[in-house]
Amino acid sequence: MTQFNIPVDLILSKLADDAGKAQNRAQKASEVLLDSLETELSTTPYEVVYREDRIKVKYYQPKIKPQYQTPLLVVYALINRETMLDLQPGRSVVQSFLDSGMDVYMIDWGYPTRKDRFLGFDDHINGYMENVVNFVRERHGLARINLMGICMGGTFCAIYSALHAEKIKNLITTVTPTCFDTNKGLLHTWMRGIDADRMVDTFGNIPADMMNFGFLLLNPARLMIDKYVGFMENMDSKNFVENFVRMEKWIFDSPDLPGEVFRQFIKDCYQQNLLVQGKLEVGGKKVDLKKITMPVLNIFGKYDHLVPPEACEGFIRHVGSQDAENVCLDTGHIGIYVSSKCQSEFAPKIARWLKERDSIAPLGFEKEKDSRPKTERMKTEKLKTDRPKAERLKTERLKPQRLKVV
Amino acid sequence: MTQNKSDVFESSAMPADWLKSMVGLWEGLPRLWFELSKNKPNEPGPEKGNGQNFKASADAALKSWQAVAAAVSAPESVHTALKSAGAMPDILLKLAQNTLGGFLQFQQKCVEHGNRLGKTAEAYKFENIDENLCRAWTEMYEKEFRQFFHIPQLGLTRTYQEKFNQALDKYNIYQATLSEFIRLLSLPMTQSMTVMQEKMSEMVETGNMPEESQVYYQMWIKILEGHYMTLFQSTDYIQTLGRTVNAISEFAMAKDAVFEDMLSVLPIPKRKEIDDLEREIYELKKRLSALEKKTP
Repeated sequence: MTQFNIPVDLILSKLADDAGKAQNRAQKASEVLLDSLETELSTTPYEVVYREDRIKVKYYQPKIKPQYQTPLLVVYALINRETMLDLQPGRSVVQSFLDSGMDVYMIDWGYPTRKDRFLGFDDHINGYMENVVNFVRERHGLARINLMGICMGGTFCAIYSALHAEKIKNLITTVTPTCFDTNKGLLHTWMRGIDADRMVDTFGNIPADMMNFGFLLLNPARLMIDKYVGFMENMDSKNFVENFVRMEKWIFDSPDLPGEVFRQFIKDCYQQNLLVQGKLEVGGKKVDLKKITMPVLNIFGKYDHLVPPEACEGFIRHVGSQDAENVCLDTGHIGIYVSSKCQSEFAPKIARWLKERDSIAPLGFEKEKDSRPKTERMKTEKLKTDRPKAERLKTERLKPQRLKVV
Repeated sequence: MTQNKSDVFESSAMPADWLKSMVGLWEGLPRLWFELSKNKPNEPGPEKGNGQNFKASADAALKSWQAVAAAVSAPESVHTALKSAGAMPDILLKLAQNTLGGFLQFQQKCVEHGNRLGKTAEAYKFENIDENLCRAWTEMYEKEFRQFFHIPQLGLTRTYQEKFNQALDKYNIYQATLSEFIRLLSLPMTQSMTVMQEKMSEMVETGNMPEESQVYYQMWIKILEGHYMTLFQSTDYIQTLGRTVNAISEFAMAKDAVFEDMLSVLPIPKRKEIDDLEREIYELKKRLSALEKKTP
């Protein structure tokens, strides 16, 4: 038997080197951690232009001359917060949109309290979303606006667009689960065995900590060990620490999920996959995805462990639109919005796609031919003109309320 | 035989005597009370009607007490009672047998588990992992101990006691299920260490030992990740996860029920009352919104 030589001396000397480096790193890290750190999230200035119950709408105005006729309304998920789209300067989807000259509105769902436990899909989609869409339409004097959804927010946008197709010009869904009958992705497997009724009846709203623990369990080796080992190895770098802390802040800044939304999302979507079958009922109406006839851009991540490509890519087959496109990026669920690589792909792609579909009519007037029935058109017109003056003034008064200025 | 009879008689005489003396005492006390009342004419006594009512009630109670005492002190009744008392050791023995049986079962599983400890943990295998100590403990609790918390409660406080017992029972189930779940989560750690050791042995044999400690860490974390991914897709894990979530929910519900009872003595609204109110507001808002939409 051949006896191999193990370089014990080399291994030991490397270990000694590592220990020395770790000591130096710890010394520098203490300086970094005790120094003042820039860890603010969502630093792009915005105005709150609409409030209703716990929700508010943030308006981001482009600094350059508007290049788009139609504004974009972004609908985030009810899990975690929309601040992820404006995580930090240089890694901000919102900033990229503004740089391209787009008016951006974003729904902040707020922090549901126990009184919000009864609010389900209908209240969020036909209630809050409908009111916000109408508000933006009125504010810009448009019949239709662009809608972009993220994750569960994307599912909401798909449902909204099917129910109110006449109000949406272009639909963008990102990492949006619509086809739930896949075995890819642990979330899909686990959710089938969850007793949603029991959980909602017990907790009312689903506690954010419980959901976060579930998300960490999706990959404990990476999310509970490797991530923090990585932090220890780089904690002497101020920039790294700032980025890391920002991300930690975002991950654990989680609102509870309204109980009825959880019940419907788990039972109707994850367990019965009703949406793509045309059997999902919201507000007493069946959601027919074939009614989504506006252009659709569906973006998802190849390595998404929460919403795998299999749960997203089928969406464009179920819509009625002739202009529907899938875009798969080489990244994961969060990386799609925050990774440096995707900053140059994701937001610019959306900006280009919208530009190609944005009519060149002057701001405030849409010259496109309206193919809707006359009664439907009249309804919209009425909405535009019949608004009492006091109501219009209220909106105007909200305008100068600048909440955050950097 | 004669000896037995005489024993029973002698032992039955004792409670009978005690009962008679007790009846005498309780009979005497009200009489004494009335005699004392009669001897104090200047003091305002109870109204005539009330006093008579009280006397009548006391007399009725005494008569019942006498009747019950006489019935109980009868030799036949005492004999029956003593017979029941004679059965007590049997009941206790059965109780002890059940408990001991449970412990033996547990011990047996421990021994079985111990016998398996020497065997190497198979990498990436999570089937048939239900045979573990935590599961054995849960099963034993469900079979042997749980019933004590389900003994019907009696009397004025029965509802509260029942809810409290329920909370204790659900807490035990929750703890047992959580232990099972945590044990499952620890399995990939153990297994990845075993695989890592095997890999290190292979590297030693081939003389291909990396010098950087990072390489070992990366190797281990990949193995660990792989084990977790395998575990998370196993039926056992999914079932245990479901059981744990249910146990947490059930315990939370039972605990809330106990706290609701406690809150009812305080001058603050209970959660259920607030929930009901909020539901009403929610429904009213919906109706109002629908009406607003209908109004031209």
